[in-house]
Amino acid sequence: MDTPAIATTNLTRSFGDLVAVQDVNLCVASGQFFGFLGPNGAGKSTTIKMLTGLLAPTSGKIQILGLDFAEHTVEVKRQIGVVPEGLALFGRLTGAEYLTFVGRMYGLDRETTAKRAAELLEFMQLVDQPKKLVTDYSHGMQKKLALAAAVIHGPKILFLDEPFEGVDAIAAGTLKAMLQRMIARGATIFLTSHVLEIVERLCSHVAIIDRGQLVAQGSLEELRTGVTAQAPAVVNPQSGGKLTLEEIFLRVVGGRSSEQELSWLG
Amino acid sequence: MNSSTFRPQLRAIAQVRWRMFTHSLRTTKGAVELFSRIVISAVIAFGGFGGAILLGGAAWYFVSHQKPESLALLLWPVFLFWQMFPLMATALTETIDSSDLLRFPMDYRAYVLVRLIYGALDPATVLGSLWLVGITLGIGWARPSLLPMAALVLFVFGVVNLLLTQMIFAWVERWLAQRRTREVFAVLFFIALLGVQLIGPVLSRYGDRSNVAFRQIGQVANPIQSVLPPGIAAIALANVASNKVGQALVTFSFLLLYAVVILRLLGIRLRAQYRGENLSEAGVIPSQRVGHAFVALGWRIPGLPGDVIAVVEKEFRYLARSGPVLLTFITPIVMLFVFGLGGRAGSAGFLQHWPQLALPVGASYSLLLLTNLIYNNFGPDGGGIQFFLASPASFRHVMMGKNLAHMGVLLIEVLVLTIGVSVMSRPPTSLMLLITFTALLFAAPINLAAGNLLSLYSPKKTEFGTFGRQRASQTTVLASFAIQALVFGIAGMAMFAAFYSPHLGLALLSFFALDGTALLIYVLALGRVDAVASRRAELLATELSK
Repeated sequence: MDTPAIATTNLTRSFGDLVAVQDVNLCVASGQFFGFLGPNGAGKSTTIKMLTGLLAPTSGKIQILGLDFAEHTVEVKRQIGVVPEGLALFGRLTGAEYLTFVGRMYGLDRETTAKRAAELLEFMQLVDQPKKLVTDYSHGMQKKLALAAAVIHGPKILFLDEPFEGVDAIAAGTLKAMLQRMIARGATIFLTSHVLEIVERLCSHVAIIDRGQLVAQGSLEELRTGVTAQAPAVVNPQSGGKLTLEEIFLRVVGGRSSEQELSWLG
Repeated sequence: MNSSTFRPQLRAIAQVRWRMFTHSLRTTKGAVELFSRIVISAVIAFGGFGGAILLGGAAWYFVSHQKPESLALLLWPVFLFWQMFPLMATALTETIDSSDLLRFPMDYRAYVLVRLIYGALDPATVLGSLWLVGITLGIGWARPSLLPMAALVLFVFGVVNLLLTQMIFAWVERWLAQRRTREVFAVLFFIALLGVQLIGPVLSRYGDRSNVAFRQIGQVANPIQSVLPPGIAAIALANVASNKVGQALVTFSFLLLYAVVILRLLGIRLRAQYRGENLSEAGVIPSQRVGHAFVALGWRIPGLPGDVIAVVEKEFRYLARSGPVLLTFITPIVMLFVFGLGGRAGSAGFLQHWPQLALPVGASYSLLLLTNLIYNNFGPDGGGIQFFLASPASFRHVMMGKNLAHMGVLLIEVLVLTIGVSVMSRPPTSLMLLITFTALLFAAPINLAAGNLLSLYSPKKTEFGTFGRQRASQTTVLASFAIQALVFGIAGMAMFAAFYSPHLGLALLSFFALDGTALLIYVLALGRVDAVASRRAELLATELSK
C-alpha cells in the first residue's frame, strides 16, 4: 500500500476543559482532492492548523508523506503549502514583492523565484496594478495571491482553509483552475469549505467532523452508500436519484433549526 | 448632537472598554499588562505631580515678584512637550481606529467628541494638564484674586494643546499616507532644515556682527512668540495681573480664536474620516494593463542565507512605506539640528558646550526610538505571523533578518548624525567614534536579545500606516524602561571611565569585555527563539491576527 499523503492517529487538541478535536484518525491518499467538512465550531480549523504546524496537538500523531510532523517539522513544511484562514499576507508589500519574499523563505533561488512569481501573477490575473500594495487588494485578489504564495515552491500537499469564502465567481474560477491543474500533476489537496456544492464538484473524498469527532470519511460514493444504508430516504429527483453532499452532510451532522420566533423582525 | 442617542452610545463605549479590560485580566498576560500599566501610570503620575509642583512654584515666583509676563517661560515648555512627546513616544500613545466607530449610527459631532475623549487619555495630555493645574494653583497662591481668570485662560490653553496635537497627527497622517504627498512633505521638511542650517553660516560670515544680528532675531522672535498660543496665554495672564481687564479679554479672545481655527482644521480631517475616507494609495495608482508581469530579483547580500535576506528586504520595504515610522527615525536628526541651532545662536547650545557628546547622545536616542520596533518585531506583520509559523524558515533566521534590518537603520542614522555633527560643530574625534561604536555594540545586542524574546512573549499587533494603533504592550514598555535603565547606566559609566580615565586602554578593554558579554547574551537569546516560538505559536497567531 502507498504511503498516505496525510495520516493522523488519535489526533486530539484541548483548550483548557474544551476538547476541540478528539481522537481524529484521518487518512488521505496521495493525489486525492480531499474535502474536510463540518458545522461551525466543529473543529475544522483546529485540525487544519495542527496539520500545518500552526497549532501543536495535545496528543496523537500526524504523518505527512510518511514523515512524523513533530520529528521532521522543517522537512514537512518544505513539502506543503498553506492558505490559512487569515491568509497570512504581508499587507505593505506589492503582490510581486510578497511572492518574491515567500519564494526566498522556502529556499528557492532568486532567479527561480522571480520567474515563478511572474508566471503566477499572470495566471492569477494580478498583473494590472504592479505597484498596488496587498493591503489595497480586494478580498478575491488577496485569496488568489495567498494561493499563488502557497504553491510557489511546488508543494506536494496543499492545505486550504475556506479558499472560496467571500470570493466572486470569476476569482473562484481562477482558483479552481489552479487547483485542478495541481491535482492533474499528482499533488494532494486538503480543503475545508462551507460551500458544499464546490466540494461536491471538486473533491473525490470527504471527511466530516462534528463536535470534535470524525463522523464520516470516504469517497462521495462510499458516504452515499453508508448514509442510505443507515436510513433510506426520499431522494431529490433533481440530483439524478443520488443524495447530494448537502443531504449527506445534514444527515450525518443532523439538521438543527431554532424554534424561537423573532416577532420584532419585520 | 442628538443626546438621546449619543449618551447611550458613549455609555456603551465606556462599558465595552471596561468589559474588555476585565476580560483581559482572565489571562496571566492580562494581569501582567495591568501591573505594567500601574507601574507606568505611577511613573507618569510622579512626572505629572512633580512637574506641577515645580511649575507651580515658578508661577508663584513670577506672579509674586511682579513678573507675570515671564509665565511664557513656563507655558512654552509645556506647549512643546505636549506637541512633541506623542511623536517621540508612540509606544505610549494611543489613538482610536475610526473605522471601529463608523460602523455604528453615530452622528458627526458625537464622533468628534469620542475622538477627543480618546485623545485626552494619552500621557502627554495627562502630564500637560497636571502641569497647567500646577501653574494655575501657583498663580492662585501668589494672588488668589487671579485664580478664576488664570484657571479659565489655562483651561483654554490646555484645550488648544489637545486640539493641536490631534490636528497635527491627523494632517501628518494624511500627508504621509500617499507616496506623492509623502515626497512633497519630505522635500518641504528638508528645505526647512536646510533653511535653519543656513542661519548659522550666514551669521558666521558677518563675524562680530552676529551678536547684533542675534539680538535683532530675538527682537523679531519675541513678537512672534507673543502671537502664538503660549505667548498669548502668558500675555492674557499678565494683563489680568496688571488689572487690564479689557486687554486681557481681547488677548483671551485670540486664544479662543486659535481654539476655533484649530478645531476647524481638525474638523476637515475628521469629517473626511467620518465619511469613510480611505488613505491607502489604491485610489491614486492607475491600472496599467500590462500584459506580462515583471518581477525583480530579490536582494542579494553575500554571506547570508536566502531566508534571512528575504526578511531584511521585506523589513526595509515595510519601513520605507511607513510615513509615521520614518518620521520617528528622523527625530534624532531633527533634534541635532535644534540643538545645533541653539549653539549657533550663542545661547546654551548643546553642541557648543558639549560637542563631543552630540554623537553618543544622538546615537543613544536613535537606539531608544528603534526599541519601538525591536521590542515588538512581529507587531507590524499582524496575521502574517501565520506565514512564519507555517514556513520552513526557522524563527532564528527570521529574527536575524529583522535584527539586521533594524541595525541597518541604526547604522544609517549614526552615519547621518556623524556627518551632521561634523558639519555643524566639528568632526568627532577618533576616540569618541570608537567609544560610541563600542557603546552601541554593548547596548544594541542587549536590546535585540530582550526585544527578540519580548516579541514572542508579549506581542501586539501594530499598524505601520497610521500614527494610531502603534501602542506597544504595556509589559513591553515596562520591560523596556528597566532594560534601558540598566544598559544606559552601565554604558554611561563605561563611557565616563573610557573618556576620563588616565588608563584609557584599560577603560576601553572593559568596554570590549562588555561588548563580548552583550554579544554572548544576544547569541544565547537567539538560540532560544525557535523553542519559544514553537511553544507560543498559538498565542502569537491569536494575538497578532486580531
